Amino acid sequence: MKLRLLLSLGVVAFAVTRAVSAQAFELGVVAFQMSSETHARVANAVEAAAREKGWDVVVLNSNGTLQTHSEQIENLVQSGVDGIVLAMSKPVEFDAQMQEVKDAGIPLITVMSGASPNALFDIQVNEYAVGSESALYLLGQLGYEGSILTDRFESNVGTRIRGKVLDVVLSENQAVKEVGSHSMARTKSWQEDVRNGMNALIMQNAGSFDGIWASFDGQAFIIDDLLKQQGMQKGDVVLVSTDGGPETFRRIKSPDSMLMATVAIPFEAMGEAAVDAMQKIAVEGAEKETITSGPYLYMKADLVDQSNVDNFIKE
Amino acid sequence: MRDFIAKYGTALAGLLVFVFLLVFARNFASSANLLNVLKQTSFLAILATGFTFALLTSELDLSFANLASLAAVVTGGLIAGGTFWGLAVVAGLAVATLGGLVNGFLVTGVKVPSLIATLGTAAIANGLTFMITGGVAFVGRWDPMFLALARGKIFGIPVLVVVMAAVVLSAWFVTRKTRLGTHMLATGEAQEAAHRAGIATRRMKLIGLTLSGFAAGIAAVLLVANLSSASPQMAGDYLLNGIAAVLLGMTMFEPGRPNIAGTFVGALIISVLANGLVLLGAPYYLQDIMLGVIVIASVSVSASVLKKAAFSV
Repeated sequence: MKLRLLLSLGVVAFAVTRAVSAQAFELGVVAFQMSSETHARVANAVEAAAREKGWDVVVLNSNGTLQTHSEQIENLVQSGVDGIVLAMSKPVEFDAQMQEVKDAGIPLITVMSGASPNALFDIQVNEYAVGSESALYLLGQLGYEGSILTDRFESNVGTRIRGKVLDVVLSENQAVKEVGSHSMARTKSWQEDVRNGMNALIMQNAGSFDGIWASFDGQAFIIDDLLKQQGMQKGDVVLVSTDGGPETFRRIKSPDSMLMATVAIPFEAMGEAAVDAMQKIAVEGAEKETITSGPYLYMKADLVDQSNVDNFIKE
Repeated sequence: MRDFIAKYGTALAGLLVFVFLLVFARNFASSANLLNVLKQTSFLAILATGFTFALLTSELDLSFANLASLAAVVTGGLIAGGTFWGLAVVAGLAVATLGGLVNGFLVTGVKVPSLIATLGTAAIANGLTFMITGGVAFVGRWDPMFLALARGKIFGIPVLVVVMAAVVLSAWFVTRKTRLGTHMLATGEAQEAAHRAGIATRRMKLIGLTLSGFAAGIAAVLLVANLSSASPQMAGDYLLNGIAAVLLGMTMFEPGRPNIAGTFVGALIISVLANGLVLLGAPYYLQDIMLGVIVIASVSVSASVLKKAAFSV
């Protein structure tokens, strides 16, 4: 009898909770790979900003798998959420699923994903500008001559653009030679991939390179540790990268780290901007054009080196 | 009663979860969502069906997910390169089937334990996907006829569901109604006795592993058509889920024995859970936790009822 009463109370409590929460704006968030710090930073920022507004939020992780990502989007459509934010998605691969979102009348905002006709807009930094900032910083530190190693990542549109811009910069400054390059292929075991690939490159080119360009900070951390294991000290080699974040800033400031600079992408601000835009468009009924006229909402990325890193550590 | 619980306990637990979601998960009961769940089950069910064939002959296939990824990039790469999609599909199926055949040859001909042999081919297949793609996905404008393989409908039913039904029913028919199925089962249950009874046990193992590869090829083609892209490790996540589906399947209908009906229901339970948790608004990490819990719980319960050691796979 007691058990039945408890069960009944549980069911009622659940139903009441659902009914109350059903009144709040429901936001679905899908991060492509939560094990990647940048993806998690965006998703967590979206979640925090949305909860601050009193919204219900469901955050999903695609584990870096395309099919899982497509299923998460489809499931959110079926659940009837009021809005969807995708972090580091791939509009070309998920064209059909994004079309489903649009057909269901659910506003969709993507972050660092690329433009899609089925999304309101993509919140981005200008990767071409980001790529030129890091490439020119590296070459400037080398005095526009010397040899560099690179660690690339072609599967992500942002890191791929950064690599292409580096190639353009190198083509105009031929006194700097790329003597070795590793291209990260595995997304799930990328740390091991970077460690093995760059360790081999560093060994092969020991003593004959002056700088290293990494396509994102996660790669740079591993390279930094490898260089330290070789007994190198700050300034022996110029290591530059892109993304930003507390660990990056700590390393830039640290006298033990090879990491000299990064281009800090405001992932948290992007997540907050996605929620603000969703509020204006989906809740207040504003036109998308009042936020941005094009397929992108660009945000500013700052070059961070030892001269200004303290400003970012304080934040 | 014990026998009933052993046979149907997992399925009943799955049914209870289903009923719970029908009541509490908003939109779960809608026909669109139920078809959505069936569509999402199709890839897993097809892959797990193939794995069941291998396991029926008492051999493991840990390469099916990697073979599927390889077949996917072969299919996608050929289409992106301008090959007629029909030929690309045949090539994808052939590559995965060949992978299964190689597994079978290694196990039956070279006498490499299937655990080691299929781990090896999984690694080779993984390397080949990166060799073909360079880590970059094949994308582009795909022939609508090809895309219809995964996105089309027949009398309102998604083609994916129709293909899944065809694969599962064919597999069920082969295992339950044909001599081949009986011989495969005999090989898996008592290899020595089966061999003495005149059953070509090595051939049965070869067929089981080859069918596992073939099923991986079918799932790969459907994955490519569904996502209109092909990337390395495309099917990587299906290894654990596939094994989980088969293990769940072994706890029902014919407890302790791999069986197609059980595998299908196992795959369905995993998909229903994944869908239902999203509809309930559960956080993402709960999906992995729930999957782990349900596998451990169902296998433990059935194993304790049966006191069989068949779950040590």
